[in-house]
Amino acid sequence: MSEESGVALESATEDDIDDQPMLKPEEPSLPPGEWVQKNLFSSVFNSVLTILTIVVMAFAVRGLLNYIFSEERVWSAPATNARLILTFAYPESQYARVWVTVGLLAVLAGTSIGLWAQWAGVSAKKLCFWSMNLGSGILLAIVLTQPGVHRDAAGEVLRDADSAVLRKSFATAMSDRLVWWIVGLAFIGAGLLAWNWLGEMRRRTIRVPSSALIFGSLGLIILSLWIVNYGHYAFSDGEFIAISGRTVASTTKQPWTVMWLILVGSFFLGRRISQSQRAVSVKGLMNLAWLLSPFIIYWVILRDPSIDYSHVWTTDLPIFLAFAIGGGAILWLLSYPGIGEAGRLAGVGLVVVAIFQFAAAFTGWYPMLQKARISFVVLALVGLAASNFSGERSQRVRFVGVWVVLMALLHYFATVMNSPATVDVVSENFTGGLTVTLFVTALTLMISFPLGVVLALGRTSSLPIFRIMSTAYIESIRGVPLITILFFFSNILPLFLPDGMDIAEFAAIILGYSLFSAAYLAENVRGGLQAIRRGQYEAADALGLTSPQRTSFIVLPQALRISIPPLVGQVIGTFKETSLIAIIGGFDLLRIGNQVIPAQTQFLGIKRENLLIVAAMYWLITFAISKYSMRLERRLGVGER
Amino acid sequence: MSFSDAHSPISDDLASRRDMIVCDNVNKWYGDFQALKDVSATIKEQEVVVVLGPSGSGKSTWIRCINRLEVHQKGMIAVDGVELSNDLRNIEKIRSEVGMVFQQFNLFPHLTVIDNITLAPRWVRKLPKSDADARARALLDRVGIPEQADKYPGQLSGGQQQRVAIARALAMEPNVMLFDEPTSALDPEMIKEVLDVMKGLAESGMTMMVVTHEMGFAREVADRIIFMEEGEIVEVGTPEHFFTDPTEDRTKLFLSQIL
Ligand SMILES: Nc1ncnc2c1ncn2[C@@H]1O[C@H](COP(=O)(O)OP(=O)(O)O)[C@@H](O)[C@H]1O
Ligand SMILES: [Mg+2]
Repeated sequence: MSEESGVALESATEDDIDDQPMLKPEEPSLPPGEWVQKNLFSSVFNSVLTILTIVVMAFAVRGLLNYIFSEERVWSAPATNARLILTFAYPESQYARVWVTVGLLAVLAGTSIGLWAQWAGVSAKKLCFWSMNLGSGILLAIVLTQPGVHRDAAGEVLRDADSAVLRKSFATAMSDRLVWWIVGLAFIGAGLLAWNWLGEMRRRTIRVPSSALIFGSLGLIILSLWIVNYGHYAFSDGEFIAISGRTVASTTKQPWTVMWLILVGSFFLGRRISQSQRAVSVKGLMNLAWLLSPFIIYWVILRDPSIDYSHVWTTDLPIFLAFAIGGGAILWLLSYPGIGEAGRLAGVGLVVVAIFQFAAAFTGWYPMLQKARISFVVLALVGLAASNFSGERSQRVRFVGVWVVLMALLHYFATVMNSPATVDVVSENFTGGLTVTLFVTALTLMISFPLGVVLALGRTSSLPIFRIMSTAYIESIRGVPLITILFFFSNILPLFLPDGMDIAEFAAIILGYSLFSAAYLAENVRGGLQAIRRGQYEAADALGLTSPQRTSFIVLPQALRISIPPLVGQVIGTFKETSLIAIIGGFDLLRIGNQVIPAQTQFLGIKRENLLIVAAMYWLITFAISKYSMRLERRLGVGER
Repeated sequence: MSFSDAHSPISDDLASRRDMIVCDNVNKWYGDFQALKDVSATIKEQEVVVVLGPSGSGKSTWIRCINRLEVHQKGMIAVDGVELSNDLRNIEKIRSEVGMVFQQFNLFPHLTVIDNITLAPRWVRKLPKSDADARARALLDRVGIPEQADKYPGQLSGGQQQRVAIARALAMEPNVMLFDEPTSALDPEMIKEVLDVMKGLAESGMTMMVVTHEMGFAREVADRIIFMEEGEIVEVGTPEHFFTDPTEDRTKLFLSQIL
C-alpha cells in the first residue's frame, strides 16, 4: 500500500519537473511489407480471400471505367442540360436571380465557415498519402480501362465485318494515355518528394488548414473551367450547341468564378468577425439568416412576387400593427413576474379562443383573414409560455421585441406568398431540378423537426391524452407509404379545404413530407429521451425547475445529442425521398434525368448518362451531410458522457 | 419510537429554535412493500442530523420524500412551516428552498460547471446572469475549485463533481440541505475533500440532514443521529449517546458490524 503510493508520488513529481512539451513518439507503423503480410496474408485462408477480393474489385472497377469511357456514352446530354438539371426551365432572361441565390448562399456558407469552423487541419503526412493514393488510382485506371476504338476521319466508329467495334491494341492504348501517365506519376512523385523532404518533421504534426484545402481545390476546379477543354455545350433559344475542344461557355465560368471569390471573401470576413467583440451577436444573426434563407430565396428572389401595395396599406399593415402592438401588450402583461396563477389562466384562455376561431374557419362560421387566425394561434402559444420569460424589465423588453420581429416576419412572408409570381416558368411547381430537391428538403426539415420533438415529448408524456394522441399520430403515419401521403396532399387535400382557403401545390407537398418525416423524427428523439437517466430529472426537480424548464434545458439538449446519428439518417432519407416528387407531377432532379432529357430530339432515349450524373449528385450531397454529422457527433462528444 | 425519547435530550438552545422539517407518522409503500413505517421526527433550524442504517432500511426513501422526489401516502411532512401537498406551486417552492446532493452527483453533463450552478438561480429565482455568475464563482471558491468554472463535469474528478453539486444546490440559497450518501460513490482519497466542505457548511449554520456511512463525520459533526432499520426509526440520540451507550439491541448489532 505504502509502496504503491510512493510510486505514484514519484511519477507525479517527475511529471511536474519535466513540464517541457514532450515530443509525441511516432505512431508505431509497420513497414509496408510487414503490414501487408500481417493484415492481408496472415494465413492461407486470408490470402485466398484477399486475392479473391482484389480480383472481384478489379473487375468491378474495370466495368465501371469501361462504362464511363465507352464510345457509346453521350455525356453531352447531361453537359448540355446542366442548367435544366440544376434549376429546371428557369427563364434565361431572369437567370441573374439564380446567381443572386447562389451568391447569397456563398456569403452565408463562407461567413459561417469563417465564424464557426475550428478545423484541426490535415496533417502533412496525410496529404502526402492522399497525393500518392490519387496518383496510384490514376495509374490503375489507365491500365484497367479497355483500349479505345478506331475512328474514321469524320469521327465515326470503325467496325469490322460483323459490325463489332475495332479496338486499338493494348500498347497503343497505353501510349495514347501518355498525358495521364505523367499526371499519375506526378502525384506519386510529389507525395514521395514531400514525404522525404518532411523527414524528421513528420513527427511533429504539421497541419495544412482544411479551409485552405477546400477553397483551394474548389478554386482549382473553377480555374480548370477556364483552361481545360471540357467542351462548349448549351441550349440557346432551343438550339443545340455542341463544340468540343473548347472551354465551357462563359455564362458558366464567369459566374462561378465570381461565386468562388464571394465565398472566399466571406470566409475571411467571417474569420475577422470571429475574433472581434461582436462574434456572438453575428453568430445569432447568421443562424437567423440561415433559417430565413429558404423563404427569402424561394418566395422573394426566385418568384419575384408582385405585391399589391394598396392592399398592404389598407389591410396587411393594420393587421400586423394590431398584432405587434396589441399582442405585445398582452405578452408584456403575461410576463409580469408577480402575475402568478392569473397568467397561466389567461394563457389557457387565449389557447381556447385560438382553437375555437380555428375550428370556426373550417365550419365557415365567420370570415376572418387566414393570416389573422394564424397570428392569433401563435400569440396564444407564446402567451402560454410567457411565464417562463418573466423577470426583470430588460428580459421582458427582449421577449416582447422578439414577438414583434416574429410578427413582422410572419406577416411579410404571408403577404409575399399570397402575391402572384412575375417570373414566367413552365412548371406549376414553379421550379425544379436540384433547386426543388434542396428546397423541399430544407423546408421539410424546418417544419418537421419541431413537430417531431413535440410528438416525441407527447409520446413520453405522463398525461395520457398527449400520449394517446401522439402515439396514434405516429403509428398511423408510419403505417402509410409516403407516396400515399403525397398523393393525398397534392390531390385530395385541396378538395377538403373550406371555401376561400387555398393551398399551393408546392406548400401541400412540403406539408405532406413534413407530417411524414415528423413521425419518424419523433421516434428517433424518443430513443434519445429514453436514454436520459432518472438522476437528471431528479436533479432538475430538486432545484425547483418547472417541467417545461426541465425539458428544454436538461432533457432535450441531451436527448437530441444522443439521437444525432438516427436524426441524420432521417435527414438523408428525406433528401433522397424528394425523388418521389416526380411521381406526383413535379420536375425534380430525377425526373429531369429520367424523362425530360431523353425526350429532347437531340438526345432521344439518352438516359443512363443522366441517371449516373444524378446519382452522383445525390451521393455527393448525402456524403457531405453524413461527414458533417460525424464531425458534429465528435464535437458534441456523443457517447462520452 | 419518536425522538422526544428520554435518550435523546434536546438542549434548551435547540428546543427554542424554529422547526425546519417536521415529519409526523410518515408512511410509504412501494406496491405492497412498506418502505417507511410511521416515521416521525422534527429537525430544528441549524441542526445537523445524520441518518444511519443498513442498506435498504428506507433512508433514501425518507430523505427523498422530504423534497417530494417520492410521494408518501400517509402522514404529514412540513418544510419550514409549509406542508407538502399535491399543489404544484407548493412543491416547486419547497424544492427551491431545499437543496439536495445525490450519491451519483447528477450534474448536467452538457453544461459547463458554471452553467450547472447558475441555471436554477437564473430561471427559478430570475437572477440576472451577471449576479448569478458572481454568486456561482463565490460558491466555487467556497468549495475550493474556483479554477474549474468553465470545464464540463466529465472533465472533473468525482470529488470535484460532488463539490460542484454542493455548490449547485447552495446557489439557490436553500434553508435546508439534504445529502443522500454524498461520498459513497467516491474513491477513498476524495472522500475527505467532500466531507470538509460539508463540515464547513455545518459550521456556517446550515440545517442539514445527511445519510452517510462515514462514522467519523457523524461523530464529529452531527447534533443528533437517527438510526433506521426496515423503514422504522429505531433510535435517536446525540453522537455521544449513540456510539458509547446505545439502548436498542438492533443499534448495538449494527454498530458492532460497522465499527
Ligand atoms: N422505486 C422503488 N420501487 C420499489 N421498491 C423500492 C423503490 N425504491 C426503494 N425501494 C425499496 O425500499 C426499500 C428502502 O430503500 P432505500 O430507501 O433506497 O434504502 P436505503 O437508502 O436505506 O438503502 C428497499 O427495500 C428498496 O428495495
Ligand atoms: Mg440509499
